[in-house]
Amino acid sequence: MNVLVDIASVIAPLFVIAGIGFAWGRSGRGFDTGMIGALTINLGVPCLIFSTLTKLQVSPTAFGHMAGAFTLAVAGNMAVGAVLLRAMRLDVAGFLPTVVFANNGNMGLPLCLFAFGDAGLALGICAFVISSVGNFTLGIGLVSGKLSARDILKNPYIYVIGAALAFMVTGAKPPRWIANTTEIVGGMSIPLMLVALGVSLSRLKVQSLSRSLILAVMRIGTGFLMGVGISWALGFEGAARGVLILQCSMPTAVINYIIAERFDRHAGEVAGVIVTSTLIVFAALPLLLYVVM
Amino acid sequence: MELVSELAAIVLPVFICAGIGLAWTRLGKPFDSDLVSRLVYKIGVPCLILATFSKVTLDPRALAQVAAASFAAYCCFAAIGAAVLRAARLPLTSYLPSMMFPLVGSMGLPVALFGFGQPGLALALVYFTLGSIGTFTVGAAIAAGRVSFVKLAREPVIYAALIAVLLLVLGLRLPRWLVNTTGLLGGVVVPLQLIALGCSLGQLRVGSLPRAFALACLRLGMGLGVGYAMAAVFGLTGVARAVVILLSAMPVAVSNYLFALIYKRKPDEVAGMVLISTALAFFGLPVLLAFLLPGVR
Repeated sequence: MNVLVDIASVIAPLFVIAGIGFAWGRSGRGFDTGMIGALTINLGVPCLIFSTLTKLQVSPTAFGHMAGAFTLAVAGNMAVGAVLLRAMRLDVAGFLPTVVFANNGNMGLPLCLFAFGDAGLALGICAFVISSVGNFTLGIGLVSGKLSARDILKNPYIYVIGAALAFMVTGAKPPRWIANTTEIVGGMSIPLMLVALGVSLSRLKVQSLSRSLILAVMRIGTGFLMGVGISWALGFEGAARGVLILQCSMPTAVINYIIAERFDRHAGEVAGVIVTSTLIVFAALPLLLYVVM
Repeated sequence: MELVSELAAIVLPVFICAGIGLAWTRLGKPFDSDLVSRLVYKIGVPCLILATFSKVTLDPRALAQVAAASFAAYCCFAAIGAAVLRAARLPLTSYLPSMMFPLVGSMGLPVALFGFGQPGLALALVYFTLGSIGTFTVGAAIAAGRVSFVKLAREPVIYAALIAVLLLVLGLRLPRWLVNTTGLLGGVVVPLQLIALGCSLGQLRVGSLPRAFALACLRLGMGLGVGYAMAAVFGLTGVARAVVILLSAMPVAVSNYLFALIYKRKPDEVAGMVLISTALAFFGLPVLLAFLLPGVR
């Protein structure tokens, strides 16, 4: 009974807030996802990263372990994904980002927060930053066919992480005015991202359901197994194990649709994968949380 | 030195967030203020009320006291404002709402939160909720000529406030899933409102400065005086006293400009009042806080 209450308190915020976004999108009222995206990506999320990492006592070691483990998982997902896509005779470069880069921000972060508290959020952010930087550089590079190292330097998260790490390593506290500002600005990111997720889901259309389903299962299945395997191999326990498995099992990131549309490469099918994988994860969440909590 | 860093921790986040909003519009980035205000008022604020009241333990008597003092303060603003405007032969429909409804939402709430913690935010929300009800009834009546209870009944804020009061009186707690959900959604209120404030300040068209300056001073001076008077009359102490004084002394709310724009009630002058009183408040706020903070410790 207690487990059910625990699980409900983790899942309900996601359902309710994404549901508000979905209803908003369906009601036909305008929702400028571009503006909300710009507000969260350029302002909210950098503040959330800085505020969470400096507020908490997450040791740089634990942070480093999570970074290593998650990078390993992304690499593993890439290898397995490339082999499977080739075996299915699909466009490997076009679909690889969709099966590798997951929704670690708007879906992964609230899950980590409510399942494992603030410490879970800090570890979840570690995975999120790696996935986001990978998606914006490698992901765009694969789909566009051009990989440039300069794209990494354009990502604002790199600099925020650098600043936060300086505080984490030295154990210094940022001045209170910075802490307060980043805390309130960061506080808008997760809810706004979840509402925007709901709005996007209401607008995306599923084409070719069977292929969407196969790719969605690939994303979640390989991710989940990779998370379980790596956390077992590295001896992760508690929050670290839970966060790694959760973040590895998230559905496809919505940004992949925007990338696919911009470079005109399977946008309709990517949209289908996003919708189906998100619905599957929503349905499987109670089970997934039961495994990790 | 300690006081300076404490004041900076309270005031700078407000300045910086409003500055971000100002920079956002100056950079020419799109800002859909209609979408933002819907997100904030229909969803964010009701959730913030529920989340805050499920976090703090307040004495229902203290709550009732602050509610009474806030109500009395709004009545005083209306009476004094009407008397001064009439004496100056200015039309009440254009200027009275600006005298009555201070900038509690975007400036008052964060200052109360950073200055006086969660209890400060809870009491500030009481003041704010009464102001919202007033804006939708009296404010709309002054501007549009009639009261619309249908509109009021469609405001989720009303229901959130009722639930919060019920929880407080019955000593009940919200279930954890609801606390988590409302806690997340309530988090958008302060940053979005401050950014929106900065955006609107950047877009105001200002006219007739001398009169706007005089009325801005009236709003701030009257607010401060009424705030201190109400705190004394209702025997408020500690956080309750500080919150009522602080919120009463807030500048002219930006929403008054939006109303003036819709109903064509001298928007240029109201814009001037908003801009001047906000600028004055930015300078006056640290001074006022320096007086109020020691009374809370």
